[in-house]
Amino acid sequence: MPDPFWRNGMIGKREVIVFFAALSFCFIKAYAAENLSDLREPYNDRYCTTCHGSDGRGNYGIKAPRLAGMEPWYLKRQLENFRAGIRGTHSSDREGIAMQSMAVKLSDSSITDIISWVGSWDYVATEITIEGNESLGQQLYIQCASCHGANGEGNEALGAPALRGQNDWYLATQLRNFIEGWRGSHPQDSLGQQMILMAQSLQNDDGIKNVVSYINTLSRK
Amino acid sequence: MSRLVTRRELINLLGATGGTAAVLQAGSVLGLLPATASAAALDLLALGSTNKKVAILGGGISGLTVAYELNKRGYDCTVLEASHRCGGRIFTVRHGDLIDEIGNRQYCEFDDDPHMYFNAGAARIPTSHRSLLAYCKELGVELEVFIGENNNAFLQDDALASGKPLRVNDYKTNMRGFLSEMLAKSMSEQQMDEPFTETEAENLLSVIRSFGDLSEGDLYQGSSRNGYASGGYLTHGVQKDMLAFRDLLQSSMGRIALSAYEGDYGPCLLQPVGGMDKIIAGFLSKIGGQVKYRAIVAGIQVRNDGVEIAYDQGGARHKLQADYCFNCIPTHLAVGLDHNFPIDYIKAMKYVRRGEAYKAAFQAKERFWEKEGIYGGITRMNNSSREIWYPPHGIHKDKGVVLAAYDFGGGSYFTKMVQQERVETHLQDGEKIHSNYRDMVEKPITIAWHRMNHMLGCAARWRQSFSGWTHEEEQMYNILQAPAGGRHYVIGDQMSMNSAWMESAILSAHWAMQDLDVRVRSEIAK
Ligand SMILES: Cc1cc2nc3c(=O)[nH]c(=O)nc-3n(C[C@H](O)[C@H](O)[C@H](O)COP(=O)(O)OP(=O)(O)OC[C@H]3O[C@@H](n4cnc5c(N)ncnc54)[C@H](O)[C@@H]3O)c2cc1C
Repeated sequence: MPDPFWRNGMIGKREVIVFFAALSFCFIKAYAAENLSDLREPYNDRYCTTCHGSDGRGNYGIKAPRLAGMEPWYLKRQLENFRAGIRGTHSSDREGIAMQSMAVKLSDSSITDIISWVGSWDYVATEITIEGNESLGQQLYIQCASCHGANGEGNEALGAPALRGQNDWYLATQLRNFIEGWRGSHPQDSLGQQMILMAQSLQNDDGIKNVVSYINTLSRK
Repeated sequence: MSRLVTRRELINLLGATGGTAAVLQAGSVLGLLPATASAAALDLLALGSTNKKVAILGGGISGLTVAYELNKRGYDCTVLEASHRCGGRIFTVRHGDLIDEIGNRQYCEFDDDPHMYFNAGAARIPTSHRSLLAYCKELGVELEVFIGENNNAFLQDDALASGKPLRVNDYKTNMRGFLSEMLAKSMSEQQMDEPFTETEAENLLSVIRSFGDLSEGDLYQGSSRNGYASGGYLTHGVQKDMLAFRDLLQSSMGRIALSAYEGDYGPCLLQPVGGMDKIIAGFLSKIGGQVKYRAIVAGIQVRNDGVEIAYDQGGARHKLQADYCFNCIPTHLAVGLDHNFPIDYIKAMKYVRRGEAYKAAFQAKERFWEKEGIYGGITRMNNSSREIWYPPHGIHKDKGVVLAAYDFGGGSYFTKMVQQERVETHLQDGEKIHSNYRDMVEKPITIAWHRMNHMLGCAARWRQSFSGWTHEEEQMYNILQAPAGGRHYVIGDQMSMNSAWMESAILSAHWAMQDLDVRVRSEIAK
């Protein structure tokens, strides 16, 4: 090793084996670039918990929502939308932009891997951070229920994700983003466009607060 | 007429004109107030036969400081580091290294040569950072001079000289000349009304004249300080033309040219020979065996009798029981862990915002800047790439690594871009300085700290306002500094009032260990 600090002297056993395998390989074949890359620090795309918290519990510090318990079909659609720039490209969608640039290079197989990884996390109850008028929120929720279910359980056939159990601060941000057209205005985001229309009935921050605080009461099974 | 000014009076005078900071600085010069804290030796109890386990979360320099110091005193320390490397924001990038930016992973393709490295995080050591320097000495980290201020580097602003880069020297000499001329004129008219004695006024005038190299009649008529237009060795030097004051005022670059190297920014700065991470290597040479890599902390439970840590490593969840815990995981990541911290502690963690920083570098095929008489130093541009740093090391070798951009915040401009866009912007910006830039550079790397795995930011921001800390902010700071349950310490530059310095991270660790020491001593005394 040229330098004791080269990768912290942290060459793992696996890498050493690869290295010697590569060396002996050299006798047969010229040293190819792929052997070099075997020596490099390995990686995969399992980055989610850095932002989304332990076991995907959601992290307010990054404003990254809960992934644990998220429906695989919904997660898939969102990852694909981010990757394609259908979501997270409006200049006012700060959190969306952050996610979009991280998702842009995901391969289909990485997305599949992420979905199965996320599926292995247990759901634990979210903390409540938003308190509004629940009964006013209940009135407002009637409209939401037609797609997202009376108990906020979601409806795959309609493409509507579960709402209950999601971080309330995240729901509030997304509702605001829909109202303002910061999310959902992409021409290829037909479900998002639907949400933009629906969200208008909340009118303002109070409406958002009230409906989110009602959703907070819909306990998760 | 001349009258002795007492020290106290001088301080009042400075206080009236320069605010508290001036008073404090002058105070320490005169020896009234204590000078900057020197690297006081830590007075920590060695444990002897007592056994105490310490979990250190994150292998940042603060975490490693704790591991090193407590290990010396007989504590049983384990460092859990999420990444494949220690050092966090002390990150030197060399041939083959992984830059673990989420969504933009890169491997560095620089030539494999000791001087071909890039300090993608911390890069400068001010000589006032005594604790850090003390560790460099203790750990045998060889230091060399880092050159930031270089009058031969450039200033570039599209609003200035039709965008043509000016040598810092040309700008500075002219600007200082004009400023001095103005000052000198106002002095001679008003000096009788000023609160100076005759001697003081004379001395002040002489300072002003020499500051701007004024000629007779207190006029600025050009200077040889920025070199000659021609000659100067075998023939007489021919003075350069003066720049027009009005032209200089088309740009705000003067703010930077005249003040960028004050305080902690130099001019005398140091760097470890071979890369900033030699400091990390120094710590690891003592306690490297206690570090677990790719060990991602997932949970922290503070109990009455200890702290229980959960971490993921090798696809499995592990537990670590410790008596005490020191945590340098950035607060914006720590709040997302499975913890049982007190409410007001969490509130403080959530309050701290994450700062931004972005750097980029190229390998230069030739050290083209040296052909322009530039040896180290910083070119400053009024564009998004902002700065070009010429390496002070590897002088006259074939190649070098040049910093192509350093953006320290505001809007994540480059962070949002894909790699090609970032690189193209730096090429365009650099071409305004060096016309051959595009041909001379290759193998770009970019480091957007806001997207770096296990970091997602730089330099905790406690203050919401430039005017200072509010009372509430100070309260939250104090809450987070005190150990949760007497056992869990938040450390790192985030637990200082001067974030984004290695020194701050070290001092936060010292504060926490001293607090621990008091607790341990009283426990043992029982
Ligand atoms: C661009 C830039 C320029 C800078 N320039 C300078 C300079 O010139 N001079 C100077 O003195 N300072 C400079 N700094 C600041 C300096 O680098 C930092 O203040 C210092 O390194 C912070 O150390 P820390 O101990 O707080 O830990 P950090 O470096 O923040 O390290 C935190 C560690 O925690 C680990 N971690 C995160 N999550 C987990 C988890 N779940 N489990 C386990 N581990 C985890 C991370 O991988 C990391 O190793 C600069 C920083 C940047 C980014």
